[in-house]
Amino acid sequence: MMEKVELLSPAGSFESLQAAIQAGADAVYFGIEQLNMRARSSNNFTIEDLPLIKKTCAEAKVKIYLTLNTIIYDHDVTLMKSIVSSAKKNKIDAIIACDHAVLSYAKQMRIPVHISTQANVCNVESVQFYSAYADTIVLARELSLRQVSEIVKQIKRKNIKGPLGKNVKIEVFAHGALCMAISGKCYLSLHSNFASANRGACVQNCRRAYIVKDKEDEVEVEVDNEYIMSAQDLCTISFLDKLIKTGVGVLKIEGRGRAADYVYTTTKCYREAIDAFYNGSYTKSKIEKWLDELSTVFNRGFWGGYYLGKKMGEWADSAGSKATKTKIYIGKGTGYYSDKKVGEFKLESNQLSVGNDLLITGPTTGVIYTSAKELRVNNTPVDIVKKGELFSLPVPQKIRPSDKLYKLTHGS
Amino acid sequence: MIRIIHFREKCVGCNACVEAAPFRWRISRKDGKSILIGGKERKNVFSLLTGEDEFLANISASENCPVKIIKLEKLN
Repeated sequence: MMEKVELLSPAGSFESLQAAIQAGADAVYFGIEQLNMRARSSNNFTIEDLPLIKKTCAEAKVKIYLTLNTIIYDHDVTLMKSIVSSAKKNKIDAIIACDHAVLSYAKQMRIPVHISTQANVCNVESVQFYSAYADTIVLARELSLRQVSEIVKQIKRKNIKGPLGKNVKIEVFAHGALCMAISGKCYLSLHSNFASANRGACVQNCRRAYIVKDKEDEVEVEVDNEYIMSAQDLCTISFLDKLIKTGVGVLKIEGRGRAADYVYTTTKCYREAIDAFYNGSYTKSKIEKWLDELSTVFNRGFWGGYYLGKKMGEWADSAGSKATKTKIYIGKGTGYYSDKKVGEFKLESNQLSVGNDLLITGPTTGVIYTSAKELRVNNTPVDIVKKGELFSLPVPQKIRPSDKLYKLTHGS
Repeated sequence: MIRIIHFREKCVGCNACVEAAPFRWRISRKDGKSILIGGKERKNVFSLLTGEDEFLANISASENCPVKIIKLEKLN
């Protein structure tokens, strides 16, 4: 019997952490302080948040991995060591790293290590090399299914074991943004803005439109697409069966910089797809449904990445997201009446009508999708709520003060 | 006179300011973030008044900062 593949989701905030748990992630990964690849874009946790993260995930029986995968300078070593020590103290399941200083210290502290995709592991010899430090190795995102499968086979054949004494587990990316360069080998942001991607400060120049001009006679070179460096997002849900059959142990969803609704929707779809694979109900019609659902949240259009051995050139054709649903912030929670299952909110902008689709997110609440079936102002039913008004609506789960309320509209 | 303002919380510890103006910036060994030498703290924001002779070095510290958390003001 094959061990069931683990679904690993991103958690850039407490909202996303709850969203990942609610949607059925087996494990989550997150960064604390500045030594992680989303130092700029995500609301990083601090060392003080570790006990609450551990408590939340332990209750939900979800594993937690801490990303500590930037390059490390001498002046970072003290902070790195205190992060690793706190991770040990708070029983974090593993540290995701690529710098040798981190690998070495984590080994000394006897805390499991996952080799980050930043290490670009592309062959079984590298797996063997890192197995002295790591029990799980994230492969480079640029490998084909055949190559991934061959590495997994070789691990079994050569009996490559990690420090815990078990065969090394292979992790791959299943969904999310792809880099135009081989992971971690891009210096574009450093050249243009002195903002090193390898310190988590990438300004994402590759996502912009460019004109290519011949310097000598200033003739513009004709390119099909102005977004010549922006890769579309990876989506493997339509060939997830093939991906699981390679024998990988962990499927990772990218997106620590993304909002809670993104984490919820992507995790939920992949959870359903993985379960469907194992119970024999992974069908074409379900794939269509998941693809539709995945397109409702942030995406640059999907392609299958490098897994299918297709040529490069799947580029995004627009800036930003192609999500089919857009969320507009309209207000915040003020209270909840558990007996009636009614939430109270304040509308801070826009207006709200009966029938509108809604999204509620919060650090403890996670993500709730609902619709405005009934709206009341001063306990009187109304059709429309205006800016500034306090109102109530039925919500199936508890909401909390400070939860954010969004209106969902179709089309971006 | 110039005023240097440092929004330290968002620092990613890349060392760029130290390279540009080593006499005014150093990296804390404790938390790996940069320190405005001689700066006074108020609500997590550090600031310092200093001579105009430091302007050039610090403007490049400010420009090179990947997270743009160093601001310079010229005072008359």
